[in-house]
Amino acid sequence: MSCAALDAGSHPLLERVEVLANDRVAEGVGLIALHAPRIAAAVEPGQFVHLRIATGADFLLRRPFSVHRAGGETIEILYQVLGRGTLDLAGKTRGDVMDAIGPLGTGWDIPDGIAHILLVAGGLGAAPLGMLAERLSARGVAVSVAQGAPTSERLVARELFESVARRVEVATDDGSAGERGFVTVVSERLLQTDRPDLVCVCGPEIMARAVAAQAARAGVPCRVSLERLMACGIGACLSCVVTTSHGRKRACVDGPVFDAEEVCWDGAEVPPRH
Amino acid sequence: MEQKSPRVTSGADLSVEIAGLRLRNPVMTASGTFASGREYADFVDLSRLGAVVTKGVSPMAWTGNESPRVAETFGGMLNSIGLQNPGVEAFCAGDLVWLGSQDVPVVVNVCGHSVEDYVRVVERLEDEPGVAAYEVNISCPNVDAGGMAFGTSCAPAGAVTAALRSVTKRPLIVKLSPNVTDITEIARAVEGAGADAVSLVNTLLGMAIDAETRRPKLARVVGGLSGPAIKPVALRMVWQVARAVGVPVIGVGGIMNGADAVEFLLAGAAAVQVGTANFADPTSTMRVVDGLAEYCARHGVGRVSDLTGALEE
Repeated sequence: MSCAALDAGSHPLLERVEVLANDRVAEGVGLIALHAPRIAAAVEPGQFVHLRIATGADFLLRRPFSVHRAGGETIEILYQVLGRGTLDLAGKTRGDVMDAIGPLGTGWDIPDGIAHILLVAGGLGAAPLGMLAERLSARGVAVSVAQGAPTSERLVARELFESVARRVEVATDDGSAGERGFVTVVSERLLQTDRPDLVCVCGPEIMARAVAAQAARAGVPCRVSLERLMACGIGACLSCVVTTSHGRKRACVDGPVFDAEEVCWDGAEVPPRH
Repeated sequence: MEQKSPRVTSGADLSVEIAGLRLRNPVMTASGTFASGREYADFVDLSRLGAVVTKGVSPMAWTGNESPRVAETFGGMLNSIGLQNPGVEAFCAGDLVWLGSQDVPVVVNVCGHSVEDYVRVVERLEDEPGVAAYEVNISCPNVDAGGMAFGTSCAPAGAVTAALRSVTKRPLIVKLSPNVTDITEIARAVEGAGADAVSLVNTLLGMAIDAETRRPKLARVVGGLSGPAIKPVALRMVWQVARAVGVPVIGVGGIMNGADAVEFLLAGAAAVQVGTANFADPTSTMRVVDGLAEYCARHGVGRVSDLTGALEE
């Protein structure tokens, strides 16, 4: 399946979604599976859904989540409990119903002709890369993964990456798996040894920026998925802007995936808490 | 779930007249929450809206404020977008062309840093046949010059209004700030300067702090509060202004459903605007229209305009 084939005319849907399962996968990290047949059929890697987790005075706004995997009538979301919204999400059980707008955003948009790709995941940055790894591998692209997290337990989706990637190398802050230190040590090495045609990165902005610089030095194009607080999710409110060399763009419809070259990193913001 | 909510059949006449504009119903979009409508076309039948009020348009492109620009608060949200927009030329070449193909009156929200800025925008838009009315934004709390600075005292509010009155015959709606001691004074000033209607309220200036990081939640520290949290304040101000001026009042502030809209009409509004609700549910405007029709049917109201000012005190 081509990830490049995202139809420019593809329209987001408002869909009633039902929780199929919601499991803790690591300290403060959950994986929720949702029955969302229409979104599941349409979503491309890197796109997201805008979930109305709850209603009521304390929950006015939706929360955006990358789709981690999609298959059949199901989508999966990896989430980290960071605030009221994600805390409420962690309490959802089988049969609970929410509504979702999706699929949203442009996705990774991988051009045809890519033979070898390097995915770099920092922490929950693994979320939008899972489906990408699966689909690229299925279309015969060689996938290398550099993954970093605070501890081995927090190397979320590591099994998924290992099942489809040619090579997975990891780094942890405490040395409990792989290298002790940042994922950038691993990504730098894989850039040299694996000679990828493209790098796709998602993680804390300071890490994404460092990886983008590595890719630029190696002369390899780099795409980065950025996170922003957003209200509408459909391009209207201009809450989620990313400063680029082409002006301020909306993460929700012009991203969340951007060409690393166009991102003005000095405009980087502190990680959102939601 | 339906992408577009079904039309409620109702005997009630939902049409209203505001400043010479005949609208098929009193439900408009609030500026800045609906872009120019295109982004909502997957969820909303624009031809079922009373009017689309566009995002603020300035003479040249404005880049807006730094991020984060939004924070959720109890019963509402803060924003500090800062009127980011591509400028009037790009607006005319893009969104306005698209809106022209839609069956809905277009109210262009106009903003500027100076009286001359406002005049330049309106003069340029006078060439465009697809503009039904202007809404003059003298109440944005998120820009350093212009915006709310014009809307918090009578003389500049009147000066902007008078300057625009002299360059257009189209209906002029002036959007008022709640961040004032007495909103009726400002309302009377703009009415005296030639406004055909007033819309109120813009957002309330507020702020939010993250105790864990000891940082403000907005990059600009302060921003505009909107959503259900401000509805009682907005209702009170609409009620006060409706008794103080002769021109129609358009009520805005925390309207989430038909019942909220009815409350604003009863307080004296001739029409309403739906804003923050669009973020929670992109079909909100349709629910408000349907809710109004349902209320009229249930209460035997023949014309929705009969609700305006029908508060029983």
